Amino acid sequence: MTDKKAIADHDLIRQLADLLTETGLTEIEIERDDTRVRVVRSTGMAPPQTPATAASPTPPVDRHEEKPSETGVHPGTVHSPMVGTAYRAPEPGAAPFVNVGDTIAEGETLLIVEAMKTMNQIPAPHAGRIVEILVEDGQPVEYDEPLMIIE
Amino acid sequence: MTTPPHLFNKILIANRGEIALRVLRACKELDIATVAVHSTADAHAMHVRLADESVCIGPPPARQSYLNIPQLLAACEITGADAVHPGYGFLAENARFAEILAAHGIAFIGPSAEHIRMMGDKIEAKRTIKRLGIPVVPGSEGPVTDDEAARASAAEIGFPVIIKAAAGGGGRGMKVARSADELTKALMTARAEATAAFGDDTLYIEKYLDAPRHIEIQVIGDGKGGALHLGERDCSLQRRHQKLVEESPSPAITPETRDRVGDMVAAAMAKIKYAGAGTIEFLYENGEFYFIEMNTRLQVEHPVTEAVTDIDLVNEQIRVTSGLDLSFTQDDVHLDGHAIECRINAEDPKTFAASPGTIANFHPPGGLGVRVDSSVYQGYAIPPYYDSLIGKLIVHARTRQECLMRLRRALDEFVVDGIRTTLPLFRELVKNPNIIEGNYDIHWLENWLADG
Repeated sequence: MTDKKAIADHDLIRQLADLLTETGLTEIEIERDDTRVRVVRSTGMAPPQTPATAASPTPPVDRHEEKPSETGVHPGTVHSPMVGTAYRAPEPGAAPFVNVGDTIAEGETLLIVEAMKTMNQIPAPHAGRIVEILVEDGQPVEYDEPLMIIE
Repeated sequence: MTTPPHLFNKILIANRGEIALRVLRACKELDIATVAVHSTADAHAMHVRLADESVCIGPPPARQSYLNIPQLLAACEITGADAVHPGYGFLAENARFAEILAAHGIAFIGPSAEHIRMMGDKIEAKRTIKRLGIPVVPGSEGPVTDDEAARASAAEIGFPVIIKAAAGGGGRGMKVARSADELTKALMTARAEATAAFGDDTLYIEKYLDAPRHIEIQVIGDGKGGALHLGERDCSLQRRHQKLVEESPSPAITPETRDRVGDMVAAAMAKIKYAGAGTIEFLYENGEFYFIEMNTRLQVEHPVTEAVTDIDLVNEQIRVTSGLDLSFTQDDVHLDGHAIECRINAEDPKTFAASPGTIANFHPPGGLGVRVDSSVYQGYAIPPYYDSLIGKLIVHARTRQECLMRLRRALDEFVVDGIRTTLPLFRELVKNPNIIEGNYDIHWLENWLADG
């Protein structure tokens, strides 16, 4: 590997790190020729886009009647911080990250939202027990969509 | 009846408000599925209700939703949209957005990133337009450093001239000189003001237009070297550079002038292989046109052109982006009758202060030749996060006189209660003798408002 390439990679990592902060993603991985670079932010740290949780005073009140009442405004609801596809397991066929009834710690990965080939781990905003999982594996989700309820 | 061609399968509309609805209507008539995107503040907006699918893309601030490119791409991905219509504003003139979509194999319904970038850069745009043979405001080619150079430049341009600070804006560092005698003093004052305001005394000189009209030419190109013009719009009635009333044709433009400037602009756009809808804006004074800027998108006031030409501009945008030819030729374009548009803003008609709130009663006018493009409805709460345009009233009639009478009765029918709107302002305007005679320039509205 030439020095020039090493510098290029250094710049690349810096760019990816900036991109991570800018987009609020938790992980970016790119592969090119013989090089693979993966930049991950500690999932213990909530991404800046983490939406309304129990601590937030104003979860949007949804007036859509077809949505289950209560679910949208339950204080323990975890909302999707982005648009993408929700996956409940780290890879196809693997066991889900969490199941209903599990007790989880703050920062533990609940599921993945994939957007543009990027896997974004969604961490638990607080410790507790999973009482409801509102998305199916592989389901498209929109911004602010309720994903799980943790009590 | 023939089946409309399947151009795209699904178009994502990356906008909100009346323009999202306008694009949605064109898609439906072409039998193309629609995806609405929205912020959490717009969950109950009309474009969301009418679209086939909708995706919430972020919180209320536009930067995190309507301007959020990663979220828009993700929305395309989960819905399978194969094209994006950006409307106007937001990402409509963002070259990077056009490039990113292209890199993902999604069509951007608009011109190429190269053309967006070219016309978005004021200096580059002016240089390109001049090279294409379109007149620009005559001025010093670069900064004028000393009084000698300024005198030579002014003599060449012809008085009156305006001296502007290169770093300027907001009227500061701007001085008008009507003769060589006034020039020395004007230079001195402009230089002092520029230094004080911007810390930079670099000046340049341009021809000063006393009372120009704002005339713009609608063009549409097929991206393959074909480009047509759809006549002009007169948008001289402005307040703080915001258009309030637009009409087509202009009361000041003859058919011969229209053909001359229209053909010139269309030829220029054909030469650069421009794709989609665009508008070339001019100042017009004493029979001469001076280029100001080009907008590489659909404009708010496009319906007046649609009214007089009977051509659906959004439909044509979609056609050319998909690679089809335009559905008409230059010979098919006739300005038929007269059309006027009023922009209904949620603003106080006297102070122009924004007036968000809930619409208690909404009754749009109807009847022959009346079009209302609006996304609001009775009970709709106007969110405070976005611009104040709540609808556009467009009237069309056989003559300008008939059009003004129709506008007057349509304005009287229009009911929007619960918030303040600009409707009362237009009701006054249509009775003004200058407006009735078509005798106004770009300063007219501000002067009239100042006279109270």
